[in-house]
Amino acid sequence: MDFGSRERNEVEAGYVSRNDTIPRELKEPNPRLWLFIILIGIALYLIVEFPVKPIDGYIDPFYAPTVLVLPLVGLFRITCYAYRKDYHRHIFKHPLECSINNRHDSQKRGYTGETRLFRLENLHRYFLYGSILILPFFYLDIYKALAFNMAITLAAVILAVNTILVTLYLFSCHAFRHLTGGGTDCYSCKFAGRSRRSFFDVQSYLNSHHEQLAWASLLMFIFVDLYLRALSSGLNINFIILHL
Amino acid sequence: MRSDILIIGAGGAGMRAAIAACEKGADVIIVTKSLIGKAHTVMAEGGIAASIADVDKADNWETHFSDTIVEGVYIGDWRMAELLAKEAPERVYELERYGAIFDRTDEGKIMQRAFGGHTYKRLCHIGDKTGLELIRTLEDKVLHSKAKIYDEIYITKLFIKDGRFAGALGIEMRSGDFIFFNAKAIIISTGGCGRVYKITSNSWESTGDGLALAYNAGARLKDMEMIQFHPTGMVWPPGVRGLLVTESVRGEGGILLNTNHERFMLRYSPEKRELDARDVVARSIYYEIKAGRGTAHGAVYLDISHKGADFIKRKLPGMYSQFMEFAGVDITKEPMEVAPTVHYQMGGIEVDPYTTSTCVSGVFASGEVASGLHGANRLGGNSLADILVFGKIAGDNAFEFVNGKEFTEVLSNEIESEIERVKGYIREGGRNPYNLMDELTTVMEDYVGIMRVGDDMRAAIKRIDDLKIRAREMGVRGTTKYNHGLLGCLEVENMLIVCEAIAKSALMREESRGGHTRSDFPKRRREWKRNIICYNNGGVMDFVTEPVPDLPDNLARLVKPEVYEDE
Amino acid sequence: MSDLNSVSNRRITISIYRSESRSYVDYTVPLEDGMVVLDAVRYVQEFIDTTLAIRWNCKAARCGSCAAEINNMPKLMCKTRIDTLPDKIRVAPMGAFTNVSDLVTDVSENYMINRQIPEFKPDERAERPWRIAQIDVDRTKEFRKCIECFLCQDVCHVIREHKADYVGPRHVVKVASLDMHPLDTLDRSEFLNREGGLGFCNITKCCQEVCPEGIHITDNAIIQEKERAVDGDYDPLLWISRKIRHNR
Repeated sequence: MDFGSRERNEVEAGYVSRNDTIPRELKEPNPRLWLFIILIGIALYLIVEFPVKPIDGYIDPFYAPTVLVLPLVGLFRITCYAYRKDYHRHIFKHPLECSINNRHDSQKRGYTGETRLFRLENLHRYFLYGSILILPFFYLDIYKALAFNMAITLAAVILAVNTILVTLYLFSCHAFRHLTGGGTDCYSCKFAGRSRRSFFDVQSYLNSHHEQLAWASLLMFIFVDLYLRALSSGLNINFIILHL
Repeated sequence: MRSDILIIGAGGAGMRAAIAACEKGADVIIVTKSLIGKAHTVMAEGGIAASIADVDKADNWETHFSDTIVEGVYIGDWRMAELLAKEAPERVYELERYGAIFDRTDEGKIMQRAFGGHTYKRLCHIGDKTGLELIRTLEDKVLHSKAKIYDEIYITKLFIKDGRFAGALGIEMRSGDFIFFNAKAIIISTGGCGRVYKITSNSWESTGDGLALAYNAGARLKDMEMIQFHPTGMVWPPGVRGLLVTESVRGEGGILLNTNHERFMLRYSPEKRELDARDVVARSIYYEIKAGRGTAHGAVYLDISHKGADFIKRKLPGMYSQFMEFAGVDITKEPMEVAPTVHYQMGGIEVDPYTTSTCVSGVFASGEVASGLHGANRLGGNSLADILVFGKIAGDNAFEFVNGKEFTEVLSNEIESEIERVKGYIREGGRNPYNLMDELTTVMEDYVGIMRVGDDMRAAIKRIDDLKIRAREMGVRGTTKYNHGLLGCLEVENMLIVCEAIAKSALMREESRGGHTRSDFPKRRREWKRNIICYNNGGVMDFVTEPVPDLPDNLARLVKPEVYEDE
Repeated sequence: MSDLNSVSNRRITISIYRSESRSYVDYTVPLEDGMVVLDAVRYVQEFIDTTLAIRWNCKAARCGSCAAEINNMPKLMCKTRIDTLPDKIRVAPMGAFTNVSDLVTDVSENYMINRQIPEFKPDERAERPWRIAQIDVDRTKEFRKCIECFLCQDVCHVIREHKADYVGPRHVVKVASLDMHPLDTLDRSEFLNREGGLGFCNITKCCQEVCPEGIHITDNAIIQEKERAVDGDYDPLLWISRKIRHNR
């Protein structure tokens, strides 16, 4: 394509490195990236090495239904459009800020965007499908918690809130939006077009809060995990709200 | 640069003409003073008037024709009005096929809204951004055609050889170079001259350049006194004074109130109320403010808040954000403050109704710069219909004209001397053109404004003469490269011609009709059912009047006969 | 009428980039109520230094000519009220484009890119005049608000810092507006992905942040086009199903 007046220095810009499988972004000395990888590594080690046993019927969401699905859920989040924005900005600094004086981005830094290894992000929809398959287990866990105690407890409520947030996060996903109507140009030409369009509008509303939901549900996940660990260590922080 | 047809102005009319000429196979160059797609057409908000009868089934071209003639107060050219009324629907459908979208009815047809002076709901629209949609669609079409586009070029002179158009000289603003465009025909579609007034809704380009170029080339200007004051312009804050508040606000149910909370249009126009023709509403607002029933900013209230926030944000998103951002007024809760603002020039270059050709061979004109269609007052929505219908006619006929013709050469010393003239403005110690522009627009605003009186206009003509003399000392520093100051000098020269034509025509017309209201001649008079024409008579502006051509019987039947109060 | 005619003594200083000296020059201009940056810049151009090159047309945020960088943020000068800015105001030309003079930049590459986007191609079999439902108009309507100010192109780091072969947010919006037309028959996502460099976009959403028309560029145009490109270029199951259908 002809890009008119864009003057560039191809060698320096470094995005035309056709032989590199590993994008330039990952080769750069980037303490933020190292720190991020280390933190993720430690977290994974802790989760795998120190599992939370089901206590009083409450199952830690990291282990629902099994810790083996964690990579799938992790990949779903890693390829999520909301997190992509965050780590491209705050880890790779491409760019750090929109304000043009504080971007920490430049022509000298290599940039491949989502064209090389990061092209895998385009498989986001498959991780979504997988995650949707796992979702029923979360609801099952709420049921188990209620059935085990025969009461609505604080812990059960926390689990329920977590599950609702995860559900909202999943179904506000951009890939899901593509399915609900993003790929449709003419609703009125389709069967039940008006209802489909209304569904798309509702989903679009959720989607506009996808970023907030992504972070809310992630923080909730961690909170629930810490809460249940505290509970299983013997702290008395659970109480019954209503007997069933 | 060589091409069969040169088009100056890349607004709706110019681009529609380019598409028509390109489709026929002509070699076309479009030049524009600003970037492509930025023309004043983007400001059109209401819609395109076309009697497609999607909403009101009773509508037809005959009613559209009669509305245009009656609201143009009987001095419009019936041939143009007939063409417009008959062809507008097809032009709208064609625009849709080019890719434009319109709001739809429940049946999926094009949605039409009510507008001042139109008997039926007739304006095809998309929200309040119809002009933008129109220009974007035509822009895409032109960019994908073979037409060559030269943007940011200011044309300084048209060259006429042996009574025929030969070429035009322009400055390429980005490089500062002069470019000579050799062409067999030219279509002038440079838009209006609203910038000659202080308070105007018009954008930077609308300085009447096309009018002055045509006048200097020997074309005749018609009905120059007919300036449309849009009833509703913003008044506060000062920086946006004059900015348009679309008529759609009234079309969608907005009402006008004075400071006594009286819906005063019930007094001035009990039947059509807020949706009477623009001249009537503008005058009514003017009288209310004069009578002391206006706000502190010299305005009346326009209220749409009773329609509810959802409705307003969906139907008038542009107005909502315009008031929110510029004035800090939430129009879903509070009324807007509005006052009349200069909006449109009904008059312009005299053209043949069927070919849009001027009296100079090879010079065509279409759009706001041309005259005839709107008579003494333009109907809302007719301007967008005008540029589509007559843009196409201009393109088609310019092609017919150039077919088989040869290029006419222009002597290089003539071009050189024009370049020298332009470069002459670049000098140290010259008079700042913007001071003159400021003075000129103030004179026009104060003396040849919405309410005119003989003595004022005589004073204005004197002031304009005086400004002409001072304009000889104009000069700016810098080079020819992107020098707005230099353009300012050239624009002032053009504006002076336009202002002289407006003021002198207005002084001649001793009656009140449409956009022209005189306090010393408050009534409409049968002997003035004429067009005032001005032309360049060896360097002196001369005027003649000509009777308006009579309607043939089959059309006269459609139109409510004209009534004069005195008879 | 007092507040309209009162001669105020309030003044502000605005520093404007001048290409001749390659530096910022301070100008002092009188301050009016509700004044926007363009008012101040025009005052400088008309009454202080007529050689200052600026580009403006409508002064109503409808034409998109007066794009500039005000205090390091890409904005429309006509839409930025001075009372929303700190005391120090700095106006620079858009940095992603070649500078022509002072605040004026060469944005012509955008028109060249537009030329290469496949045109609207309606379904010729559709009965005329067309019937289109309002629900099918609403989505593309958002993209048609674009005033081509090119602030999104300016802020996009792919273009600004990396000069990559990416068409840029404005043109993805253009493609989306054509693709989502209910009667359009083309799918331009493949064009966008292969020739338009859509993959270079890493959805950092600055374009959406600066859009003066409030178009959800990233969410509604870019990501939707990316998902369509996944359908065509990346999704393995869809690829296999296309192969099978093709072989039949």
